[in-house]
Amino acid sequence: MLLYRSDEWYNKLSQEELQKLINQNKAWFDRLTGQGKAKPGRALERTGVTISGQNGRFLTDGPFAESKEAIGGYLVLDVETIEEAIAIAQSSPSLAYGGSIEVRPMAEECPLDVRARELAREEQLISV
Amino acid sequence: MNTQNQNGYMLLFRGNDWLKSLSSEEKQKVTDQWMAWFRRLTDEGKAIAGNPLEREGKIVSGKNRVVSDGPFAESKEAIGGYFLLDVASFDDAVAIAQECPGLPYGVQVEVRPVAAECPVASELKHETQFANA
Repeated sequence: MLLYRSDEWYNKLSQEELQKLINQNKAWFDRLTGQGKAKPGRALERTGVTISGQNGRFLTDGPFAESKEAIGGYLVLDVETIEEAIAIAQSSPSLAYGGSIEVRPMAEECPLDVRARELAREEQLISV
Repeated sequence: MNTQNQNGYMLLFRGNDWLKSLSSEEKQKVTDQWMAWFRRLTDEGKAIAGNPLEREGKIVSGKNRVVSDGPFAESKEAIGGYFLLDVASFDDAVAIAQECPGLPYGVQVEVRPVAAECPVASELKHETQFANA
């Protein structure tokens, strides 16, 4: 999965630059889709809330657009290796303008499950 | 805030460090609750996709397309997984997010409307219309 970090780097682009980038992005995405490497990806609206605390009591506005951790959109790739996913991320047109992209393998099973199993195994070893 | 959105909503689960403080039984309990929650939402037709993400990954950035390690697992902001929801309103999505079994342990759930088109492109369209008016 590619996660587009959005710290609103595109705000400093001119209208022509933006239009160029949008066209490049579209061509890039169409090519990947045509090759069967990208499944649908979507942009996320710049609004949202974050929920936290017991029973989800706290609602705060966010993410904050200026945050480097804010996510602007995602793309699910159908490729075999992380190297291939990284190479695709590196070919993204938005990088040239200051964007950054997080590349994350999608887990077969929840890492929580895996960790719980590991812990159980460690406890078993200790008790032996 | 838009209260209606035909494109659905995304829940982003943030924070990876909360796990450390849990015993293995507690971990198992949260995992089981989380899976049951996702299955129920899927059965109800409210969740259309969802996946945990492996804890390791890379960040690609800048003109030189530099690849660096990240996100860091201890970060409160790191994303651990996501659900894609097919519900009609933002309030429905928030209500579902509030059921997340990880919340009591410090997980943060971000609720985001999915955009019909890239917000950059739609902003640009507005600006162009404005300039031509």
